[in-house]
Amino acid sequence: MSGSVDGKPVDDSTLVLGIETSCDETAAACVRGGTDVLSSVVSSQVELHARFGGVVPEIASRAHNELIIPVTARALLESGLDGEDIDAVAATTGPGLIGALLVGVSAAKALALAWDVPFVSVNHLEAHLYAGFLEEPELQFPLVVLLVSGGHTMLVLVEGHGRYRLLGQTLDDAAGEAFDKVARFLGLGYPGGPAIDSIAMSGDPESIRFPRSMIDDGLDFSFSGLKTAVVNHVRTNPTVGTEDVAASFQAAVVDVLVAKARRAARQHGAAALALGGGVAANSLLREQFLGACAEDGLHAFLPSREMCTDNAAMIASAGWYRLQREGPTPLDCGADPNQRLTVLP
Amino acid sequence: MLILGIETATMQVGCAIGGHEGVLASVHSAKGKRHAEQLVPSIEFACEQARVELSEIGLVAVDVGPGLFTGLRVGVATAKALAFALRVPMIGVPSLDLLAFPVRFSNRLIVTAVDARRGELYYACYRQVPGGVQRLTDHQLGSPDDLASELLASGEEVLLVGDGAQRYQEAFEGMAKVELVDTGNSHPSAAALVELAHARALREDFGRPDEIEPLYLRRPDAEINWSTRDGR
Ligand SMILES: [Zn+2]
Repeated sequence: MSGSVDGKPVDDSTLVLGIETSCDETAAACVRGGTDVLSSVVSSQVELHARFGGVVPEIASRAHNELIIPVTARALLESGLDGEDIDAVAATTGPGLIGALLVGVSAAKALALAWDVPFVSVNHLEAHLYAGFLEEPELQFPLVVLLVSGGHTMLVLVEGHGRYRLLGQTLDDAAGEAFDKVARFLGLGYPGGPAIDSIAMSGDPESIRFPRSMIDDGLDFSFSGLKTAVVNHVRTNPTVGTEDVAASFQAAVVDVLVAKARRAARQHGAAALALGGGVAANSLLREQFLGACAEDGLHAFLPSREMCTDNAAMIASAGWYRLQREGPTPLDCGADPNQRLTVLP
Repeated sequence: MLILGIETATMQVGCAIGGHEGVLASVHSAKGKRHAEQLVPSIEFACEQARVELSEIGLVAVDVGPGLFTGLRVGVATAKALAFALRVPMIGVPSLDLLAFPVRFSNRLIVTAVDARRGELYYACYRQVPGGVQRLTDHQLGSPDDLASELLASGEEVLLVGDGAQRYQEAFEGMAKVELVDTGNSHPSAAALVELAHARALREDFGRPDEIEPLYLRRPDAEINWSTRDGR
C-alpha cells in the first residue's frame, strides 16, 4: 500500500519532520519511512513549571515560541540533513494546550510553505499509539495499547493503521494527574510521577490497602477516589511513613491499570499489549506489565522511556502513516485543544 | 530586496510584500481570532497578488507587539520559521509604531493604543520626523483613564489611534484637544511594516531570529500571583 503526494509516492524514503508542542515539551524529529528515526530532540520545560506544581499554559507557550526554531534546527543538524531534504512537515494539532499547540502548528505550516512540501496534522493521542512502531515496526494487530499520561488514561484497540476502537478511559482524573496530586499532597514536588516512583522504592506497597477503584468493573478508570483515600489516610494517621504511602498508592494505581489492560486484551483477542504515555515510564508499571503479559501469553511491547514520554519522532511517524492514508492537510488548519482520537464506530 | 511583513498583534491578520518599489501586495482580514488558520493562506495569497515566489523573499519582518499574546505568537513563530527555512534575516517592529506610521503627516502628538484586554491599553507617544515617526516614550501598559490623564496633563493637541482607543473611546470623549482617528486605521498596518522594515534594512539593522520575541509587557498571571504571595 502506498499513497502519493503530488505524484510522489509516500514510501520508505519519505522523510518527515515532526513537531510537537502540545504541553511542556518542545520537540522536533526527523523520521524516514515512518519508522527510521534519524534524530529526535526534546527540550523539556519541567524546570520552568516546577515551582507552580503543574504546567502553566502561558509560560509553556512563551517557552515554545523561544525554543521552536533552535529545537528544529538541532533536529535537522543531528539528522545530517538540510531543510530542502524534508518531504513533509507534521505537527500535533491537538489535544493539548491551545496556546502551546498554535506555536508548533504555525511554525510547521510556515516550514511546509517555505520548503513547498505537504503539511500533515497529527493527533497527539494517535501519535502515542504509533510510538510503539518506531521501535518495533513488525508489531502485530490487533493490539491493545494502554495510554497513560498526565492528561489521558485510555485503553485503545488498534485493529490496523488508522483503525482504533476506544475500549475504556478515565471517568475523572488521568493516572498521571493522580500521581501529581498525591505527590504535591505528600510534599514530594513536581512532576509527581518520577518523585513517587523513586520514593516508593524504599516503602512497603502492602502497608496500606488503598481502594482499587472499579477493578472488577469494565474497562473504564477512576482515580479521584484513590487520591481522596490517600489524603484521608494521612490525615487520620499523621505519623505514617511517606515512603509507605507512596508505595501503596502506586501499587493501587498499577494494579488497576494492569488488570484492565489484561482484561481488554483477553476480551478482544489481542495478540499484543503495548504501553504508551508518560506514566509508562513508571518502574512498577513496567515490571507488572511485563509479568502480566508473560502470564497471559501476550506479546508485550514496552517502548523505551524516551518514546513513552512526549516526543516528535512519534509525531513524524504518525504523520507519515497519515500522509500515506489521507494525503496532506490544508494550510488553513488550526489547532483543536479537545481534538479526539478518530475511532471506529 | 523583497520583504514579507507579518502582522497579527490585534484581532486582525495582515501580511504584505514589498521592497524598494514600495508595497506590491497587502492583505488584511479582521474576522477575529483565527490568526493560525488565516495567516499562511494570506501569505500565499499576497505572494500570488504580488507575483512573487516565496523563495524570492530576502527579509521577513514581523509585528512583535505589544498585543494579543496568542496572535503575536502565531505571527512570530510563523515569521521565525519562514526566515529559518528561507535562510534570510528578520526585523521585528512594534505594533504601536505600525499604528503611528500611516498617520504621520500631522504636527500633533500622535498617541497609539492597542487593546490589552482586562480594561487596559498598551500605548506610546510619537512625533513626526522626516521620513517617519519617532517614539517619544516607552511602550506602556495602563488603564484608559491613566492615558486620558496623561494626555490632559501634556496640554498638547493629540491624534489618538488604535483599536484600544476605539474600544475605550468614552474615556477620551469631551477632551477638546484629542482627536480619535476613525476605525480605518485602528489595526497595525502590514504595509507600514514593510515600509518601516525596508528603511531599517537599508541600514542593515537586522535582528537574529533568536532575538525576536513578542513584547509581552505583562508577565504570566501565575508568575504575578507567585511573586505577590508572601510578599516575595
Ligand atoms: Zn502525550
